Amino acid sequence: MEILLNGQGRDVPQDIAGSDMPLLWWLRDLLGLTGTKYGCGIGACGACTVHLGGQAVRSCVTPMSAIGSRAVLTIEALGTLASPHPLQKAWVLHQVSQCGYCQSGMLMAAAALLKRNPKPSDADIDVAISNLCRCGTYPRVRRAIHTASAMLRGLAPTPPADNRRPTASGEGVIVRT
Amino acid sequence: MKRRVWLLSGLAAGGAMLVGWSVLPARDRLGSATSLPPGGGAVALNGWLKVDLDGHVLLAMNRSEMGQGVHTALAMLVAEELDVPLAMVRLIPAGYEAIYGNVAAFVAGMVTPHPRDLEIGKASLSVEISQHLATKLARELGINMTGGSSSVADAWNVLRLAAATARSQLLNAASLEWRLPVSEFAVVNGVITHPSGQRAPYQSFAARAPLTPPGTVTLKPRSEWTLIGTSAPRIDATVKANGRAIFGIDERQTNQLFAVIRHAPVLGGAPGRVDTDAALRQPGVVRVVRLGPYAGSQPAIAVVGISLWHAQRGADALKVDWLDPPRGRVDSATIMRTLETTALEAAQSGAGTVFYRRGDVDAAAGDRRLLAIYRAPYLAHAAMEPVNATARVANGLVQVWAPTQVPGLARALAAKVAGVNESAVDLTVSYLGGGFGRRLETAVVGQAVRIAMDCGGVPVQLVWPREQDFGHDVYRPAAVAVMQAELDNQGRAVAVRVTSAGDAITPRWAERNLPALSSRFERPDKTTSEGLSDSPYGFAHQRIAHVATHSGVPVGYWRSVGHSHNAFFNECFVDELATEAGDDPVAFRLGLLADMPRHAAVLRLAAERAGWPGFVPAGQPKLAAGRALGVALHESFGSIVAQVAEVSLRAKSVLVHRVVVAADVGTVVNPDIVAQQLEGGVIFGLTAALFGRIDIVDGVVRQTNFHNHPLLSLAQSPVVETHLIASERPPAGVGEIATPPIAPAVANALFVLTGRRSRDLPLLPLA
Repeated sequence: MEILLNGQGRDVPQDIAGSDMPLLWWLRDLLGLTGTKYGCGIGACGACTVHLGGQAVRSCVTPMSAIGSRAVLTIEALGTLASPHPLQKAWVLHQVSQCGYCQSGMLMAAAALLKRNPKPSDADIDVAISNLCRCGTYPRVRRAIHTASAMLRGLAPTPPADNRRPTASGEGVIVRT
Repeated sequence: MKRRVWLLSGLAAGGAMLVGWSVLPARDRLGSATSLPPGGGAVALNGWLKVDLDGHVLLAMNRSEMGQGVHTALAMLVAEELDVPLAMVRLIPAGYEAIYGNVAAFVAGMVTPHPRDLEIGKASLSVEISQHLATKLARELGINMTGGSSSVADAWNVLRLAAATARSQLLNAASLEWRLPVSEFAVVNGVITHPSGQRAPYQSFAARAPLTPPGTVTLKPRSEWTLIGTSAPRIDATVKANGRAIFGIDERQTNQLFAVIRHAPVLGGAPGRVDTDAALRQPGVVRVVRLGPYAGSQPAIAVVGISLWHAQRGADALKVDWLDPPRGRVDSATIMRTLETTALEAAQSGAGTVFYRRGDVDAAAGDRRLLAIYRAPYLAHAAMEPVNATARVANGLVQVWAPTQVPGLARALAAKVAGVNESAVDLTVSYLGGGFGRRLETAVVGQAVRIAMDCGGVPVQLVWPREQDFGHDVYRPAAVAVMQAELDNQGRAVAVRVTSAGDAITPRWAERNLPALSSRFERPDKTTSEGLSDSPYGFAHQRIAHVATHSGVPVGYWRSVGHSHNAFFNECFVDELATEAGDDPVAFRLGLLADMPRHAAVLRLAAERAGWPGFVPAGQPKLAAGRALGVALHESFGSIVAQVAEVSLRAKSVLVHRVVVAADVGTVVNPDIVAQQLEGGVIFGLTAALFGRIDIVDGVVRQTNFHNHPLLSLAQSPVVETHLIASERPPAGVGEIATPPIAPAVANALFVLTGRRSRDLPLLPLA
């Protein structure tokens, strides 16, 4: 049978397509699309978040047999190198990533949020982004989502934090997230 | 100018001389062109740098990028000295020569002076000599390790000298060709120009430069820096926003197989009889491999399949008789009680290693004594990328792909397991999906190589499922501290006595990962007492001792190591002493920092920026009702951090609204990366402060995955503000320094809210 993945039809053998194998492993191990990450295997961390029919789902607990005709979108097709998604631009602008491992899932969750709610409040972001990050990028994730939201609505992006050189007076670098 | 002259002048320009590796010539670690692999149409100028035909500067990267921004920071040092845009610096893997070892980390681990003895002009001869000797030893060891918040400090003189030397050779080559004096050249974006109109890019002289002596080499003065000190975007920002960054677990080789592991659920246990029939009948399962112990790992069973899911299904179908450890089953509650008894007895008897002594604590008697017992649990690393390694063994050659903090040690283990020379092992370090000390362990590489040996030349990737990671980590050790103070009739402390107990980490780590040298590490381990024995407060009489225990739980380095719990003990207890003295917590601390001006400045800055009463002009916005401030000050890895946490209670939970961080990290190479690390260190530390714990019941770790071991979420995260003190000292640590102070800052705010001291980590659930 065929699964629509990142805009392309992919033939999947029936023993895989009809199985309870989670979507994550088809992507990562059988197709080699490694942008989607394994973090917990129980849908608790969100590192494996992809879009299924436009909704954010945790692919580690989404069986292949449940995909049906719904389109699958992964981080590899969220934007292109030439034309990144506004979230990806905002991610670089705000220097969100540290180790980066959870960021594909963060970005996919954020993209699904902006799709259904182009101007999310802080409370909306709190609810929608339940992805876990061990490095502690959360404050910057929040800012980058607000910035991408503004970009999507045709507004100028919020400038990143004021990163001046430290000064002798101890004024220092002030980065507020 | 001679080497010694520029070094001294560089330090003089810095206005600060930190004794340590910086006093030994960085030239020892310059290496030679032969240190780098040939090829790529690039010309090597020393052991660190090549210039290619397009003018790219290829930097041999010896440090692992695990989120701390080290690839960017080290590339910036080189770009600054060479006057090339950061984008022109490309990274190539460093080899295994001793020049790539981490001298700074090992010196910091071997020599343990009190910060008071390290201040400018106060370093004693014995401190200087011991640091000098430790430096020589560390240099000979040449162990490449990314850890101990040491990478920029270690590279600071070495990489800048390598780049400045390369630049001199390129300029001298241009001078010889053009017959014009170097003093009249300028370099802009890697192009050498002369007022006469001569101009050519570096690569035009790359062929000639290696044969041209550098002559006098001087480092660019601070006043001419254009890149160091700026928030240049991280060089890994784009690939980490589009899914193209390759972590260890993302390695994909032709025909690659996948393996999962099963250790005995009981810590220290092993597989006995194994029935593999059902596992091998599962579709997509290829084979089952029995694993011995490697670098301290438990013997285990691995199941190999065509995907990790197929392998998991096979592993679920294994029937294994697990054997108990010969030493019996460990239990964390029992261990905590033993630690408490040990610390209390030692506090009475004077047992344990004394790490710091000042005045005469036995002679100093007060009117009454304050005694407080603090406790911290075992903790897991829980890096988001599960533990993994990929290996291929064919024709006497071993290929390894691993997210490791210790590539040389991992390579040595791979060679030992495969029975080949180290030179027959080719190891690739990928991006690390978080490290936090977990990837200083090499066991998974040994396991992967052993599995690959059974896979007939086919590459195989071993992944520890999340449950195996929580259940078989090398945990942050549990610890107990008995904090005592003699108080005068005003409630002011006249003497402080600290007696702590907990497992030593360094000897256990060395046994596992550096067995040939482990006996050298079997001595008092500073990681047990760091954060207590180096407290900056000037109590006249102090005795800081630790009893190193051996509890049988595997323990390892965890972000900020001993500081992670000792800062909680020390900074909460100082807060208690402020309360006893009836003093404001910030003012009380400042009173004890009269001869530690840098600490005082950091504390004052945090208090001012946080709006601490008495440190801001009257009429500033008041704290919202129901909220309280708590403060903590802590030095670790050569850097000083103060944090003020704004906290409230809701129902039985704790909300942390805002954290103001002030830090003196020495010279700042990239302020925004420092800010990232301080924000991240706070949030990482908040998980531990509020609910992080590992419980071992009857030998088995109870926490298995993120549903029963939560991490702080986005919704729970505070606003974090970062303020950096301007400094011309050499760069100090950054990656770990913000983790220690957050637990005491929150706990001290909680005391204001509840009137009760929380002396146990984690702070939740509230008593």
